[in-house]
Amino acid sequence: MKNRMNYRNLALPSLMLGVLAFAPAQGIAADQPKAQANAPQETKLQAAAAQVPPAKVDKSTPKIESGAWKGAKLADGQPDITGYWGATFGAYLNFTDPESFSSGEIPRKLGPREERAPSRVSDPADGQVPFQPWALAKVKEYQTYYANPIREEYIDPLARCAPSGIPQSLYMHGHEIYQYPGYVLFIFDQGNRIIHLDGKPHLPANIKLWNGDSRGHWEGNTLVVDVGNYNGKSKYARTGEFIGENAKIQERYIFDANGKRYNYVAEISDPTVYTRPFTVTVPIRKYTDEDKPKAVVYAVRLAKHSGKEAIWEANDERACIEFNAGHAHLSTETAPKK
Amino acid sequence: MNTTLITQPSRHQRSAVAMLLAIGAVALAMNAALAADSLPRLAGGKPDFSGIWQTTSAADYDLEPHSNRKDAPPSAGVVEGNVIPYLPKALEQRNKNFANRATDDPSLKGWTLGVPRGIYYPEPFQIFQRARDLKIVYQFGATIRTIHTNNTEHPDDPNDGLVGDSRGKWDGDTLVVDVTHFTDRTWLDRAGNFHSPDLHVVERWKFLDANTIEYKATLEDPQVFSRPWNLSVILYRHREKDFQLIEDYRYTLDFDDFYPPKPDKK
Repeated sequence: MKNRMNYRNLALPSLMLGVLAFAPAQGIAADQPKAQANAPQETKLQAAAAQVPPAKVDKSTPKIESGAWKGAKLADGQPDITGYWGATFGAYLNFTDPESFSSGEIPRKLGPREERAPSRVSDPADGQVPFQPWALAKVKEYQTYYANPIREEYIDPLARCAPSGIPQSLYMHGHEIYQYPGYVLFIFDQGNRIIHLDGKPHLPANIKLWNGDSRGHWEGNTLVVDVGNYNGKSKYARTGEFIGENAKIQERYIFDANGKRYNYVAEISDPTVYTRPFTVTVPIRKYTDEDKPKAVVYAVRLAKHSGKEAIWEANDERACIEFNAGHAHLSTETAPKK
Repeated sequence: MNTTLITQPSRHQRSAVAMLLAIGAVALAMNAALAADSLPRLAGGKPDFSGIWQTTSAADYDLEPHSNRKDAPPSAGVVEGNVIPYLPKALEQRNKNFANRATDDPSLKGWTLGVPRGIYYPEPFQIFQRARDLKIVYQFGATIRTIHTNNTEHPDDPNDGLVGDSRGKWDGDTLVVDVTHFTDRTWLDRAGNFHSPDLHVVERWKFLDANTIEYKATLEDPQVFSRPWNLSVILYRHREKDFQLIEDYRYTLDFDDFYPPKPDKK
C-alpha cells in the first residue's frame, strides 16, 4: 500500500477544476495523465519508448471490404479479434480536424489542411457534421466557453468522469476488445460496452444510457452493431459536437484478415439535431506483444510470474481520476448556478 | 428378491447380491460424476462462472446481524461469529460512519463499490470468463475488475486501486482469489463497516449447483481489524428471459440535465 493511484485519465479534469482561468495549451500532450510521473514501473518503459523517434503518423484509411472472414476463429465461431486496439491518428481533441488544436487551446501554426489527418466525418465529403443551425450555434458556444465554463453545460462530461460514449470512446484512448460466446466486450478508459450477439430486443425505449444498448451480429469480417437507448449526453470530442436523444447509430467494425487493422464506420442520424444522416470513419490498429507500451493507448506491463515467457497485462484498473474522491462533484458545486 | 434369499443366501446368491451392490456403487459414482458434469465448465475443465449474478442477502445494508431500520431490512448477518473484530479506534470510526451513513456511504454517490462489496451489493454483476482471467462487470458504478487466473502474481509495485489487484488459483473446483493493493475510498457496506488500504481479501468462489455460487471472503487489515474474519453469501444466477445489465453510473445523475444541448426556448 502506498496511497497512490494512477489513472489513465486525461489531465483535463484537474486542469479544469484547478486552473479554470488558464486555457490548456498542451494540445495532444494533454492526453498524458499527470500521475505518470509517479509510476516507476511505467516510467522505465516509457523512457525507453521516448528514445525512439516518433513513427510517422499513418493518416490513411485502409480499404477493408466487408466480406468473408479468412482469419482465425474462436471456438464459438466468432472471428478472433480479441486484443488491444487504438485509433491510428489523433485523439478526442478535435472531431473534424484531428491534428488541429482543440477547444480552449491557444491556436498554433498548422500545416495545410490536406496534410493533416482527415475529419472523422467521411460523409458528407466536406467532413463537417450536418448540424441544424441551432445545434451548430451550441457547438460554437461550447468551444468558446470550454476553458472557462461559466455554465454547467460547458463542462466536458469527461471531466465529470462520465463515459466517453459513442463514437468518442473509439479514439479517446486505446481500448480492449474481449469475446465470449454470445458477447463482444469493449473496455474503454471511461466506460465499457457489452455487445449482445443473441438477438434479444433492445431495452424499453424510455431507458437511456451513456453507452447505449448494443445488439450485434457478425457478417463475415464485420461486426454490425445497432445502438439503441442512447442518451446523447457525451460529446464526440473536446470540440463539442454532439447528438440528441433521438439518436440512431448503426456501427460496422470491419476487420482486416491480417488481424492488424479495423475500420470503425458509423452511420449516425438524429432528425432533431442534423439536417441529414452522416458517416463517421475511424481507422484503428491493433497493439500486440511486439509493440512497446504506450501510456493510455497501450498501457500494459509485464506480469510477474515464475515462468520464463513474457506475459503482458493491462497495468492498472481503468478508472477515472476523480472516482471515489468527489472531484467530479466539485465542478457542480463550484460552477455558478444558471 | 425375497427375504429367503437375503436371510439364507446360497453362495451363488451371495455373489449375485454382491454384484447388485457393485452395480449400485457404480451407479452412485456415475450420479456423482453426472452432478459434477452438470456444472458449466470451460474447455479446459475449470468451472465456468460466466453469467449474471446477484445475492438476495441483506449483506450490503449491514454485514453484521441487525434488527430492521428505517433504511434497512433485518438480517441475521453474513459474518462468521456475527461480530467484525474491530480494533478499538477503528470501531469508533465505524460507529461514526454508521451515524453518518446517509451522507457518507460511497455507494450513495455512485462511487465504485470495491471488494468485496461489489459482490453483495443488491444489483447484478456479470462475469466474463476465459482460461486466463475473469472480468467482472458491475451494473453499479464503472470500474471493471479483472481476476487473473494465469498463474501470475501481484505486481511488486502497483498503484493502489478501487478494486485492488486480484490473482486467482484453482483449488479443485473452487476459485481462490487473493486481492491486495486497495485504497481507503471504499466501504464494506452501507452501515459504515470499512477498511484501510492495507486490506487483504481472500475469496473462495464455488458452485453449489449450476445456478448457485457460494461466495466466501476472508478479510484482514492490521490497521482496522484485530484478526482476520470471514463472511459468506450465496449468489444466484439471473435466469429471467432476456435479462441483461443496465449501466448504472449513478454519479452522473447530478449533471444529467445539462446534456445534450437543446434548442433555446423561444
